[in-house]
Amino acid sequence: MIAMVDCNSFYASCEQVFRPDLWGKPVVVLSNNDGCIIAANKEAKAMTHIAMFEPMFKIKDQLIKNKVTFFSSNYTLYGEMSQRVMNILETFSPNVEVYSIDEAFIDLTGIVHTPLKQYATRIKDTVYLHTGVPVGVGIAPTKVLAKLANKISKKVEKFNYVCVIDTDEKRIKALKWAQTKDVWGLGKKHQARLKKIGVFTAYEFTQLPLAWVRKEMTVVGERLWRELRGESCIEFRNMPKSKKAIGTSKSFGKKLEDLPRIEEACAYYISEVAEVLRAQKSCATYIQVFVTTNRYSNADKQYSNSCTITIGVPTNSTFVLTQQARKALQKIYKPGYRYKKVGVNLTGLIPQEFVQGNLFENTTLYNKRLMHVIDTLNHKFGKATVGSALVGTRVEQWELVKKDRSNRYTTQWHELLELKNK
Amino acid sequence: MEYLQTGKIKQQAPNHKPSVSGQTGFPSPATHYLEPSIDLNKELILHKDATFYVRVSGDGWSEFSILDKDVLIIDKALRPKPGNLVLIVQQGMFKVMRFSLKNQGSSFIVWGTVTYVIHYSL
Repeated sequence: MIAMVDCNSFYASCEQVFRPDLWGKPVVVLSNNDGCIIAANKEAKAMTHIAMFEPMFKIKDQLIKNKVTFFSSNYTLYGEMSQRVMNILETFSPNVEVYSIDEAFIDLTGIVHTPLKQYATRIKDTVYLHTGVPVGVGIAPTKVLAKLANKISKKVEKFNYVCVIDTDEKRIKALKWAQTKDVWGLGKKHQARLKKIGVFTAYEFTQLPLAWVRKEMTVVGERLWRELRGESCIEFRNMPKSKKAIGTSKSFGKKLEDLPRIEEACAYYISEVAEVLRAQKSCATYIQVFVTTNRYSNADKQYSNSCTITIGVPTNSTFVLTQQARKALQKIYKPGYRYKKVGVNLTGLIPQEFVQGNLFENTTLYNKRLMHVIDTLNHKFGKATVGSALVGTRVEQWELVKKDRSNRYTTQWHELLELKNK
Repeated sequence: MEYLQTGKIKQQAPNHKPSVSGQTGFPSPATHYLEPSIDLNKELILHKDATFYVRVSGDGWSEFSILDKDVLIIDKALRPKPGNLVLIVQQGMFKVMRFSLKNQGSSFIVWGTVTYVIHYSL
């Protein structure tokens, strides 16, 4: 059997752990640059009269009027709290697949000493007791069913965040409850197509002939079909898959016009992605840089462009990548525009031990040991302690706006939760 | 019977660290007695993933020997026993109090148990 554990409105819950004054109250978390809402707790979701997906500047007044508390995203805190939750889950099974920042699959093979429902309840209670983060637990014979059980545990009140599908009767009941949109991995396109032939629930989907599913929805659909029928075909993965591409792009805190500042931001993003690249022991073959103006602004002239460069010998050196990115940026930069965003993408990733040398390329900047020292220093003394000089010292001039970020309670000694009692 | 932790063996003997002496002259007589230095993370923290630090501002809890700027180590995993200091939430506010079975009826939620108080004394 497989358990799917999913934190309830994780980002908002992390904030609420340290803010008991907000327990039971609506809380939302904003995207990078405070542009829009990316997470809302149950209480905030219940306020259906507020268009939560609209840009922040349109709904800010409404949020304030309705006493919704909003936070800038604090990924340092969420990441650390996530680590705690995952560590706790690992005490329940030797085989835990961390699926995302707030969900994990747990292999329950061999858990025979405790009834599953009791075990699931214990998982839920332990995570909550130890971290303050509420979770829902769904248990079923396959991943897709476990995911569905998890959804039911949260959506159907009587389950109280624990749902076990361990008989065929319960499985069929769950499938009849689930709309096609409730099935994990069943995309919008397939939902629409199924609707056309009169299939609305997961149960109806599983009653379709396999040949039709295979033909119309490929092997992906077939896998879902089988999993929903209780036949496990999505394997457990303990190790995260190496990424095939790594990229980042963030809006500037304010619009930028001059090249040097955009170069600095670009170099900063390169140092971020190169670090990830080295952490997974890969090298990049191609580097893409793009710039764009604010397409929502009617007052500004619009421009966007991108440029991809092939790197002679694939690398993960921050310095080589910064150099190349700068070249690309200079190619596409045009003066006279107010830029909103610069982004970088590294693609053609290959394991670092498979890199082929090239007689005619200068690879002196590929210094592995130097990169190792830089990574170690930054890990020890904080992000961007050392790096390329091109990053500069004017980060605050282009950095994201994070006006309402909470403290990094669990990682910064000077930002601890403060208890006032004068 | 309730199993609190399974699959973990409590360490009995202190960590032993065999090492080759770096001294060039007489071999160190301590060679076979080396142990790692004291690690406060190991000594003061029972449940790493359930431990949080909070800083007190003000002298309102001096009755518990908790003073301004002290840092409390809070363990959320422990179930408090009577007499333990606990961090509670009452009407949306954090408070420190001494846990007793008597006040269990009143409306508060235990956020965590105070295991140590770090007091800056320089």
